[in-house]
Order: sequence, then C-alpha cells, then structure tokens
Amino acid sequence: MILTGKEIEKRVKSEEIIISPFLPENINPNSYNFRLGRSMKVYRNEVIDPAQENPVDTITLGDDGYILQPRKLYLAETIEVIGSTCFVPTYAARSSVARMGMFINLSAPLGDIGFIGRWTIQLYSILPIKVYYGMNIGQMMFWHTSGEIELYNGKYQSAEGPIETRIHLDFNEKMIKSLNTLPDVHHEEEP
Amino acid sequence: MIVTARRIQELLNKGDIIISPFNTSDLDVNSYSFHLGDSLIEYECQIIDPHRPLRTNTIQIPDSGYVLKPEHFYLSSTIEKMGSSICASELYANFSTAACGMFIQTSAPLGHTGAIINWTLEIIVAQPVVVYPGMKIGKICFWENYGELTNYQGRYCESKNVVASRIYQDFNRQESHNDTYRQGN
Repeated sequence: MILTGKEIEKRVKSEEIIISPFLPENINPNSYNFRLGRSMKVYRNEVIDPAQENPVDTITLGDDGYILQPRKLYLAETIEVIGSTCFVPTYAARSSVARMGMFINLSAPLGDIGFIGRWTIQLYSILPIKVYYGMNIGQMMFWHTSGEIELYNGKYQSAEGPIETRIHLDFNEKMIKSLNTLPDVHHEEEP
Repeated sequence: MIVTARRIQELLNKGDIIISPFNTSDLDVNSYSFHLGDSLIEYECQIIDPHRPLRTNTIQIPDSGYVLKPEHFYLSSTIEKMGSSICASELYANFSTAACGMFIQTSAPLGHTGAIINWTLEIIVAQPVVVYPGMKIGKICFWENYGELTNYQGRYCESKNVVASRIYQDFNRQESHNDTYRQGN
C-alpha cells in the first residue's frame, strides 16, 4: 500500500520517516515534494566505463538558474535528507517538471528501506531547460512492506550531495565472481 | 497493494474509480489500457524556463498518422478521464508502445488520489515512430492507500485535454493563492 500524505506527515512526526528539513506545505495526497540542491555533477569523459572510476566536474547552481543542455546527464541532489527504516521510498518527477521534457531518474525510481541521505537524482532533458536552486523538482512516495525488514547498508548510505556512480566498486569483484560461475557450454555437453 | 482487474471493476461499479469511456475489453489483469488523444503539443521556446509561461504549438494527429521524431519532445493526452477518490494510480507505457521505442512519461508515473482527469503524457521516441489518434498507448494501475485520504486539488485538476507545464505558477504567488496543493503535481 502507498502512504497517503497525512500518513507521511504522521510518520515524519514519529520519526519513522525522515524528511529534513520538512515543510508541511510540500505534502501532496500521496507524496512529498522535494527540492533541488545547489550542486550537480557531470561526467568529464565522453565514454562512461563501469569498470573504472569516472571523473566528474562539479557545477554549483547560482540564484539565476542554470541551463541544462539537451541529452546531457546531470547528477543533482535533493536539499532534503530523506529516508525511512519502516517504509520503502520511490520517487518521481513532479508532473510540472516532467512536462517540461525532463527526467529526474532514468528508470531508477526505487529506493531502499533504511537508506537515509540526500538523494542523487538524474536530470536528463530533451530540450534546453533552466533549473533553479530550491525549486520543487520531485516527489517522494512511501510504501508499506510485507515481510521481515532488513535495512540498507550499501555503498551510498548517508549520502551528502550528488554522488557519481560507484559501479566500479562492485564491478570488478562481482563481475569476476559471476563470470567464474557461468556454466561452460562445452563442458556441459560432456557426459 | 495493487488492485486487480476484478477489484477495478468493483470499484468502477461503486464509483470509487472513474474510467470514461470504459470498455471491458481494455481491462487487463491488474491495469486498464488507455488510448492516445488526437492532439500533440510542442514547446516553441528556445529555452524552457520555469519562471515563464511556455509558448506551445498544437498539432492535430491525422487519421493517417503523424511521425514523431527523436529530437523532439511532445505532450499529448489520454482519451479517457481516469482516476480514483480512494486509490492512488500510476501510468505506464504498455509493452507494445515501449517496444516501438516510445516513452509516454518522463519519470513521472504517479497519479495522486483524487486526480480524476484526462492525463497529459510526455512523449519521447528513440527512433521515428508513427502515432495514430485513439491508439492503445499505456496502462493505468491502481494502488491501495494507507492512511487518511486527502484529494488532489492541484493545478491540473480540471484537465480535459493535453496541458503544458504550469510550473511558472510555482514562482507566481498571486496565481496560486487559492490552490491548496499548488505544488502537488
């Protein structure tokens, strides 16, 4: 089940949901509007290689706004620290933001229960779009769980500001492990 | 929990879910298939600035179809007026649409409880794709709520057709003075 706005507010008060800072006027019937933070990261290299660390440049949003270039990926941050140890978060763009032609996540809306931090969102647009520090950009939803809860303890925990991919951390270790366990087609055919 | 087709039908009968027009044949096992309206809009401004109302150009989709291009961003709408006063909803492309290389929303699937409208769709294509008015394009699913209900009263409340972003209202206090959930969508 999805939490209603009233329920989100109640669980913020009981600290089962963390939204900090919290503005009561940003509650919607099923979500909370979060805001765009000051800093964004862009990849320096044209090719992103998951097997290696990818260097980034940092952009600081001034008060006059910043024009996003079409088809360029910007990793941005939420102003708010958001998370919950009781409910699973997912997030979406606000409709008014999506309607400008902008994604705020690239098919990755699902959060982990127990992750509490500033969220890194993926801004990607089809047209040049101006963004402003502090604008309401997305909506966090919270979902009831079924089953025993284990809390997230992954590599992005307690994130502070936009974080570039850390895929290389699991890439080497897991890739090698999984490749070693792949069935060998030729051997399988032997008796 | 997600609402099954049988339950969608029950809630339709009770008036707790609205889908209009509704055809039983478009009811899937846990969603309802909706259809594309007959118009598209595109922005005419060079830069989309949320501080300003956005100039748009409307395109009527002819019965013979209209070719969408990858470098463009289009808004269109659902033929159906849909929503629920007791469930939240989410809108997704159906597989057939996605398999043509088409997005019908840009990371904004959520329909708030109480938003009973003709939905605006954000359309992007991976390669040129022809669209036709009335074609089946996506699915709406419904989620049970947990907690005290409030109904969406935001700026897209009365939408009957495709509506461009009204984000400039965020930055204009007078316009949104009486709008309880002005930032709600």
